[in-house]
Amino acid sequence: MIKNIVWQLLRRNISVGQLAGYAVANLVGLAIVLTAVQFYRDVTSARDSEDSFISRDYLIISKKVNSGLGSLFGRQEADGFSESDISELEQQSWVRRIGRFTAGDFNVSVSVDIGGSNIGTALFLESIPSDFFDISPREWCFVPESQDPVPVIISKDYLTLYNFGFAASRGLPQISEDMMKMIPLRLSLSGNGGQQWLNARIVGFSSRLNTIAVPEQFMDWANKKFGENGSLNPSRLIIETSEPGNPEIQSFFAAHGYEPAGDKANSNKMTYFLNVTTAVVITVGVIISLLAVFILLLSIWLLLQKNRTKLIRLMTLGYSSRAVARYYIIIVSVINICVLSGAIAVMLVGRHMWSTPLQQIGITAGSSYVTILLGICLMIIITGCNFIAIYLNINRIFPRPGKKI
Amino acid sequence: MISTITLDCVLPRVFAGMEYSDPVKSSQVWLRTLQFQRTGSYLVEAESGTGKSSLCSFIYGSRGDFSGRILFDGVDTASFSTSRWCELRCNALAYLPQDMQLFPELTVMENIAIKNRLTNHRSLKWIITVLEEMEIADKANSLAACLSIGQQQRAAIARALCQPFDYLLIDEPVSHLDERNNKIVAGIIGRVAEEQGASVIATSVGNKINLNFNTVLKL
Repeated sequence: MIKNIVWQLLRRNISVGQLAGYAVANLVGLAIVLTAVQFYRDVTSARDSEDSFISRDYLIISKKVNSGLGSLFGRQEADGFSESDISELEQQSWVRRIGRFTAGDFNVSVSVDIGGSNIGTALFLESIPSDFFDISPREWCFVPESQDPVPVIISKDYLTLYNFGFAASRGLPQISEDMMKMIPLRLSLSGNGGQQWLNARIVGFSSRLNTIAVPEQFMDWANKKFGENGSLNPSRLIIETSEPGNPEIQSFFAAHGYEPAGDKANSNKMTYFLNVTTAVVITVGVIISLLAVFILLLSIWLLLQKNRTKLIRLMTLGYSSRAVARYYIIIVSVINICVLSGAIAVMLVGRHMWSTPLQQIGITAGSSYVTILLGICLMIIITGCNFIAIYLNINRIFPRPGKKI
Repeated sequence: MISTITLDCVLPRVFAGMEYSDPVKSSQVWLRTLQFQRTGSYLVEAESGTGKSSLCSFIYGSRGDFSGRILFDGVDTASFSTSRWCELRCNALAYLPQDMQLFPELTVMENIAIKNRLTNHRSLKWIITVLEEMEIADKANSLAACLSIGQQQRAAIARALCQPFDYLLIDEPVSHLDERNNKIVAGIIGRVAEEQGASVIATSVGNKINLNFNTVLKL
């Protein structure tokens, strides 16, 4: 018997132009979506590595110092961040978590021998939860009454200030980070009627925190022992934000009189810009894909209309709607598989093209499996919709009681 | 298998409101209760426009624009699913529509094969023999569109027989055939129906098929 007469019969009215139109449109749409997703993933793949320009961001904020005379005379006007300030901050969508700076409530001075001359200075100490640091030195712990030196992390800026400001003008030697770590420090803590000398050592330099930081355990212990005022509200907060560059952040700070430290505005805007651009590009891609699916549905609908008499005759002969739909489903599947392969190929070519420039600015492109998987999922959804549309359309013209033909 | 087909007060929707006037009033089918037995053969005689093609479509399940009920072995066909109808059209109900419904773009052989590949009921040899009997074997590879109406009728009959059936519905099967061809076609249909122990329900507006009918109904 002659094989596949049904196919021979039904393919006559297929418009190659319409199907090609669908294929091209859907290819463009899907390629845009996948390429945008892959680009976004590649650029943000460095998100987890610190110090990337696009990394998740930390903001350190303090309350604005009042310029009134009151502050000159030692009257404490802004009493740090109250619990209600902090909980209000925590409710903001861009806040992931908040760390509090605990200030030392005692007098500290440090003395150090550099090149034979003894330098001593009054000092302040702060602590923040250790997971907010950009570095995590091994020695970062403190056990009260032990002889181990107290670990201290200082801002990188301080070393720079010393090396290129102080040392240069005084004729003192410049000090590298490693040398600095070897210098033994002597801390004098006093307050609450007591005084104690402790050994200390610088264990790291932070580019994130503009402070002199000690472990929280040390701060708790010292505040208990030498503190006079009980616990104080934190005067500074460190905020980990999930949406760096979100303009809401700036306006929130302005409205509440908070002052962010440093100037991260540019890199933040960069990230925000990337997010917005990606969203716009993906939206355009999705719209094109949706339109393409619409074209296909329309094209199938037209094809079914043109083949209506044939389909009714076939089903009158005893063909089930599923058996008839099968041919259209095969056409759609083949086209969709080609479109998906094409879109993935476009994405991979694009990725190959941008991987070199990205590497030059220190970003290693991430893997593309997730994007390919996304493409497959999208295609399964699109194909599923197509199948349902085909099946419903054919079922609608199936000659049976209750149906007009 | 279907043993009885019962018509219970069936009336085409186009005749609604005409219950007490002709042709409904004098009809032996519309608004009556009657049974077609699998063992019988029936001729429904009618004038044009009295709804004989509608009757065939109603029984075959391809139209539902009627009031009343049609029951297969006591089960209302209105409750049948799409797949049940497909099944019945493949192995219980054979149908020759008045307009034949051949695919004009396919050859005679392809038109027959399109049915037979669904049922796998007949061998190529059987089909060729039947076409030879009906004297259209030479047209086997011609497009259906190029055949005369009489030739199309015979091709469509051959196609309708390519399935097992309990009832064969033939809507004016010989309207375009001469007496000699009528006899040939009737011979084949009678033989196949007997082989299968099946019933034939034929309609006619005058030129009736040359079969021995148990019952003649006036529509």
